[in-house]
Amino acid sequence: MLRREFDFLGLRRAFFIVSVVLVTVSIGALAVRGLTFGIEFQGGTVVNLNRAEGVEIGEVRDAFDEAGLPGVQVQTTENGGFIVRAPEDDPDVANAAYLRVIETLGLSADDGDVATIGPGWGRNITRAALLALTISIAAILLYVSLRYEYKMSLTAVFTLGHDVLLVLGVYALVGREVTPSTIAALLTIMGYSLYDTIVVFHRIKENTKALTRTTFSKMANHSLNQVFARSVNTSITSMMPPLMLLLFGGDTLAGFAFALVVGIFIGAYSSIAVATPVYTLWKEREPKFQALAKKYGAAA
Amino acid sequence: MEPKQRIVAAMAIVLTLVGLSWWQFWPPGERISQGLDIQGGLSVILTAQETPETPVTNEVMDRAELIVRNRVDRLGASEVSIQRQGADSILVQLPGIRNAQEALEVLGSTGQLEIRDVVGIDETGELILGEVLLTGDVITSASVGANPQNPAELEVNVTFDSEGARAWADITGARIGQQIAIVLDDNVESAPVVRDRITGGQTSITGNFTAEEARRLRTVLETGALPVALEFSESRVVGPTLGQDSLRRGVYAALLGLGLVAAYLAAYYRGMGVLSWFALSVFASLFLGVLSLLSNFGWFALTLPGIAGIVLTIGLAADSEILMIERFREEVRDGRTYRSAARHGTRHAIGTSLDADLVTFVSALMLYTFAIGPVRGFALTLMIGLAIDIFNMVFWSRSVIILMAEKVIPKAPWLFGVKGGEADAKA
Repeated sequence: MLRREFDFLGLRRAFFIVSVVLVTVSIGALAVRGLTFGIEFQGGTVVNLNRAEGVEIGEVRDAFDEAGLPGVQVQTTENGGFIVRAPEDDPDVANAAYLRVIETLGLSADDGDVATIGPGWGRNITRAALLALTISIAAILLYVSLRYEYKMSLTAVFTLGHDVLLVLGVYALVGREVTPSTIAALLTIMGYSLYDTIVVFHRIKENTKALTRTTFSKMANHSLNQVFARSVNTSITSMMPPLMLLLFGGDTLAGFAFALVVGIFIGAYSSIAVATPVYTLWKEREPKFQALAKKYGAAA
Repeated sequence: MEPKQRIVAAMAIVLTLVGLSWWQFWPPGERISQGLDIQGGLSVILTAQETPETPVTNEVMDRAELIVRNRVDRLGASEVSIQRQGADSILVQLPGIRNAQEALEVLGSTGQLEIRDVVGIDETGELILGEVLLTGDVITSASVGANPQNPAELEVNVTFDSEGARAWADITGARIGQQIAIVLDDNVESAPVVRDRITGGQTSITGNFTAEEARRLRTVLETGALPVALEFSESRVVGPTLGQDSLRRGVYAALLGLGLVAAYLAAYYRGMGVLSWFALSVFASLFLGVLSLLSNFGWFALTLPGIAGIVLTIGLAADSEILMIERFREEVRDGRTYRSAARHGTRHAIGTSLDADLVTFVSALMLYTFAIGPVRGFALTLMIGLAIDIFNMVFWSRSVIILMAEKVIPKAPWLFGVKGGEADAKA
């Protein structure tokens, strides 16, 4: 192989520092700022007022006050509308108040929506979504253990933990709302990213069979180089459509899109910067590979 | 190695399917059903509230569903969908409904069945109700049967529990010849006249019932026996233009994403990237075709989370193309002939993509099976997309690369971004 190779594993100290910093920042952000949970988790009402050009934010608040939903949170949207959150969890009451509000503000019910979530419901759907994804991730890991080896499987779990922490950190930093939908989207894409890691491992496994005159880490680095173009390109193309959705898809779809974009990005980073170095470090402790490292390690 | 005829046949089949898909899904606005969040309307999830004494069993849910159906009937909405969700919830969808407020009030009513005195009739002919004599919780069952005295006539038989039986004997004993009213959620459902003092906890309500009316009254009476309360878990009232706005933006973003991916593939992989445009077009056509076919049978309706699922699969389809191109290029670099690199490389790439797709498919399937609420739409389109991706890779993308590697790619390897293959080796 005469092509110049990029020394990813030589950067493992740098990757390690970056990851530690990112994880620390994430934990810090989670501790200080915490996560913003959607109404799905605590019950309440979200009203979307679309096409509300010319209406002031204060008018919206006053209109809800008058309609019997005091103390609402009002947020403007990029396309001249409002998102209003209220603690009311009876849809009957919430919708009646909404109808009074649009009458006061001179808007049309055609351009808005009202979502009301009862108390305890969020727990229900989150539990269901988490159950689904725990089972699926367990199935994936079992598959990896059977088809490859347990060290790959455990490294994949470790990487996944790293990814989840970073993603939560991003949500805490940005202050974006966490809903059951974003959790589902995130975990689906993490399963996909987990697979990204496995593609690298697959190549390492193939190359391990023919491993003689070099060290495990050099071989692992060569494997990373072999799949690198593929990894980068697939991450870019997987990210492009959700990114467009995030930028142009409107408020409702942005929640899904944000989760997908963040998940793909962090997943791509971690398969190169976390999974492979950790796995390599672990494998190099095996006597067989230690011997190889002694013999060929010096001639870099 | 497969003979060339098989490759060509596979492509012909795919192209036929693409044609059929277009015929099926065009115009997509009409041929692909739209979910409630796009079309506008009211969507409500009602959940049975379990208490320590009364667990939510399947039987309880059957009855709850009947009650919900009964309430929805009263609204006179045209297209109604009522589905079970999970073990204890019912999803009611009323697309395009105008009076969401009324619907919410009716659906949210408590299902309170009462037997009340009738004290008179007002000028509009409505009964004036008196005291509440009995509430529905003492009814254990209700059934429809033929009147033993007059077999041509239907009657509704009611069974009370022991407490109800005692009370019923007292009530009927004191009101022979008088009218009483059976009231559900403040609506008078029936107002029979008491003929006799009834003991033994069994009573029959006779009248000139049609079969439909008798069944309905039975449902009403059974409502009283529902031991659990139904409460709103989730309610969404969506204005029609808001949903259409979201759809337009979603489609716009998806097309933009597809365009960007196509441009990137062409910029990076040149000729091979352009070949993948055809694959992506085939993918998109088949996808829309399947969605429209499923819509035909009422098995699919596009929701906003569903659009997110579609957008994600565009990326995953591109992923498969990249895997195939990369593997092909790599094998050419490693000294295989174009021909053998095409056959061997694409087979390996399909193996890898299949793993990737299956892993994601498992996540989506679990999500679809266990999750409740809008997330299922996301899982559904994702699964459909992944299945089409696999089909597309095996029958289309692979065939194209194999065919092109025979004659076209060797003539202009630089155009296809492959170098170091047999052309260079011969030189």
